[in-house]
Amino acid sequence: MAKKTYDLLFKLLLIGDSGVGKTSILFRFSDDAFTSTFISTIGIDFKIKTVELRGKKIKLQIWDTAGQERFHTITTSYYRGAMGIMLVYDVTDERSFENIVKWLRNIDEHANEDVEKMILGNKCDIDGKRAVSKDRGDAIAREYGVPFLETSAKANTNIDKAFNDLATAILDKFAGKEPGDAPDRVMVDPRRGDTSRRSCC
Amino acid sequence: MTAPAGISPEIEAVLENGLNKTALTCLHCPSRILNPSVGTFVQQEFALPAMTKQKNQIIDEKHELREFWKVKDMFQFENVGFSNTVDGVKYLTCADCEMGPIGWHDLVTKENFIAVSRVRNS
Repeated sequence: MAKKTYDLLFKLLLIGDSGVGKTSILFRFSDDAFTSTFISTIGIDFKIKTVELRGKKIKLQIWDTAGQERFHTITTSYYRGAMGIMLVYDVTDERSFENIVKWLRNIDEHANEDVEKMILGNKCDIDGKRAVSKDRGDAIAREYGVPFLETSAKANTNIDKAFNDLATAILDKFAGKEPGDAPDRVMVDPRRGDTSRRSCC
Repeated sequence: MTAPAGISPEIEAVLENGLNKTALTCLHCPSRILNPSVGTFVQQEFALPAMTKQKNQIIDEKHELREFWKVKDMFQFENVGFSNTVDGVKYLTCADCEMGPIGWHDLVTKENFIAVSRVRNS
């Protein structure tokens, strides 16, 4: 018997227009010198990361949109089991910011209604090319009641905080529902990654 | 060089009751992949694509490896990345710097195998 190595499991999604740096948010210590050609060719499906919050060991399973960046291709099956969503735009790309509202609508239509959301304005290290001010990010976040952070995957600014804040929000909600004894695990649907095998018959 | 069925002194040094004695970390960054005593040492052949290749090299070289840490449940990992599926296999990478493949995931049995030679014992 494998001993229990964690308390909770949270499934998180990264969504947003292509090119906003979702992949590099997962790719924190990005360094060209070490980029593996084989892995970068085939691409990453998901990652497992471990964080400790309030004495609980939490496994985060983090999914990228894997190229399905258009609103109409991201539907219910993609959101199934998601407990948290990072909504990412690029502060140097006006259009990716305008599309945040469309993404929020897409989440409302397809995701679980109590999913925790967070808006990230990525690439905040590139000051010269900035097209979206921090104030505008703050304003849209306030309007929709969603927490907001500006991040830089490249400079490693606020990336850990973003994941910790989102996980904390889920933990708080979870604790609110289950006062006292929390169940060992929150099971998420782990099947998305191997649909090819399961669709055989 | 290595005896087919034997366990080399290098492996012996990192084993405790057949499990990894120390934590496993990435060779290229400080990311912790596995806690101590979670992976079971197994010997089986698997050809894992090389982690790096020459600039002008087109075909991915594969290395025949036979010493792995077996991890039964993917959520026993501390930090790890799973690649998209290629020929029925998902390759494992460092979750932070994405160096890899450091091992592979069997889609049928759900078991995971980390190549002993592609991680650091620390």
